[in-house]
Amino acid sequence: MTGEGGDGAAGLRPWRKPRRLPSSPLYAIVRWGAAGLFAALVIGLIVSIVSQSSQAFAHSGISFLWSGTWNPDAGDYAGGTLVVGTVITTLVAMIIVVPIGLGTSVSVSELIPRWLAGPLSTSIEFLAAVPSIVVGLWALLVLSPVFASDVEPALEGLPVLNTVFRGPAYGPSVLLASVVLAIMTLPTVVALSRTALGGVPIAEREAAMALGATHWQVVRRTVLPAARSGIAAAITLAVGRALGESIAVALVIGNRPAIPHSLLAPGATLGSAIVNQFAEASPGLGTSAVIALAAILLLLTILVNVAGQLLVRRRGGRRLLGVRGAVA
Amino acid sequence: MSTLPSIQVALDSVMPDMGLAEVTRRRLLVRDSARRSIGRRRMAGRAMQAVCLITVPLGLAPLVALVIATVSKGAGALNVGFLLHAPTPEGVPGGGISTAIVGSGEIVTYAIALAVPMGLFIALFLFERPGPIASAVRFGADVMSGVPSIIIGIFAYAIYVERFHHFSNVAAGLALGVLMLPIMVRANEEAMRTVPVDLWEAGISLGARRSRVARSVVLRGALPGVVTGNLLALARGVGETAPLLFTVASPTLAMTLLIFNDATQPFPDAQQAAWGTALVLLALVLILSVIARTVAWTLNRKTR
Repeated sequence: MTGEGGDGAAGLRPWRKPRRLPSSPLYAIVRWGAAGLFAALVIGLIVSIVSQSSQAFAHSGISFLWSGTWNPDAGDYAGGTLVVGTVITTLVAMIIVVPIGLGTSVSVSELIPRWLAGPLSTSIEFLAAVPSIVVGLWALLVLSPVFASDVEPALEGLPVLNTVFRGPAYGPSVLLASVVLAIMTLPTVVALSRTALGGVPIAEREAAMALGATHWQVVRRTVLPAARSGIAAAITLAVGRALGESIAVALVIGNRPAIPHSLLAPGATLGSAIVNQFAEASPGLGTSAVIALAAILLLLTILVNVAGQLLVRRRGGRRLLGVRGAVA
Repeated sequence: MSTLPSIQVALDSVMPDMGLAEVTRRRLLVRDSARRSIGRRRMAGRAMQAVCLITVPLGLAPLVALVIATVSKGAGALNVGFLLHAPTPEGVPGGGISTAIVGSGEIVTYAIALAVPMGLFIALFLFERPGPIASAVRFGADVMSGVPSIIIGIFAYAIYVERFHHFSNVAAGLALGVLMLPIMVRANEEAMRTVPVDLWEAGISLGARRSRVARSVVLRGALPGVVTGNLLALARGVGETAPLLFTVASPTLAMTLLIFNDATQPFPDAQQAAWGTALVLLALVLILSVIARTVAWTLNRKTR
């Protein structure tokens, strides 16, 4: 940076004692201190999670990651079933949210007239601010009875799919948790994909139109491919959120740490298991095992988020990051 | 049908002995096939557009239903006493959520005290010192903003509750602050990016200190974005439950914990209280979001 020399300052403001460096040491200390403290926080978080989980990894070995059952009463600690539960819940949530989110963002960005699209996207962004505990409360007290009485019996009756949707229908289930995650991540997906779609230059649309493309063909062949990496980033970041959501999932998944035999069965995710087990865990190995679950979750979400950030960067999507900070 | 001279000339040059009837026949053939094509493409497009448009109510319906349910069920619980009275044991009427409101306020105050100044200074650091260190800090902020809130709760538990052997709102505030910090850093940085570097250099060349330029040029220019970003981060922090789970002494001492606790209880009174608290929380978060956007809008107009 330029501007360290203070000769000009002395010339312009002769009534003051000339300063060689127009910089106050206090400001430098505060600025560097804040950055240093932040670095210490990031490193401290990772180090404390890893070091506190080391006892569990020492006990069960690296196979903690994939094998065995979670049964604290018998002294069995392994995260495998919970990793499977987390992956299944997130996957089903994405199967629900990706088509709906993409359809909504294409509609808002390309199809709906502007006087309606503006308020619509603003309200979607407001809905992103709804706290996850409120979504969880609603899902537990309103949605879950509806699932138990109507939705899940109906799914059981489907001819082929009932291998996946096998009863009995309780209400709280892997499917309900996935639906909750889909509801919670929808605003994120829509807001980010809409930004990506809106970022496609008008010239590209006009070029496609000039070649005789219909409105839909412009969207399908020009706008969507151009916004592809932005949309991929939106979905990746939504996956990150879905993986890490714990409270709302803990309320509706039924908390049974075993591989669910169907989507209507209760299950557990890494996050929901941490919520339910941490307070009751026996000191020492028990606590360490719960923190080991947190370590796995941390690893998963960091991998997903770094992938998402790389996707955003590749498209020079600084604006996307800004929006993410605003809505996520 | 109007004649197309250029096609006529082209046809004449390729097939000079073709009669006018044949030319017209072929021209109509081309025209009809083009019409069929556009018709087909329009139909297919309309069908796909309809599919897209159907997803809008499909996606919005649960969110709208959720807000309506919270308002209608929460309104029944809400009255002045609910906000001003302390929670009562199950079966004793007249309980409120005053302790939870006060506790949440205290936690959020600690979080603001930690995150807002740090967020500003880190963003200023990123603004003034571009380079590998800034990139590393920025990367750290990106990683942190993706860390699940439950893990930040465990972190606060590990560095505070476990060390000092007691639950505390300070630990909860620390957790919330750590959660909000990366969001604030990125929002502040985005806002400061809109300030031209020329202005910063002009300030420095006038002999002002860095701190003075940061205050009078960078912060002033970035103010709408900074205020909006911080308020939105705050709105997110207020609604978080997971960081408080292992740090707050009792579920009656924070609104989100109170909801989490009461939601799972079989008593209608507890569920009613959960709905009432949810409504208070929702209103708070929405008000913060609205203020954030209004501030951005007003200040943007003023500085222009």
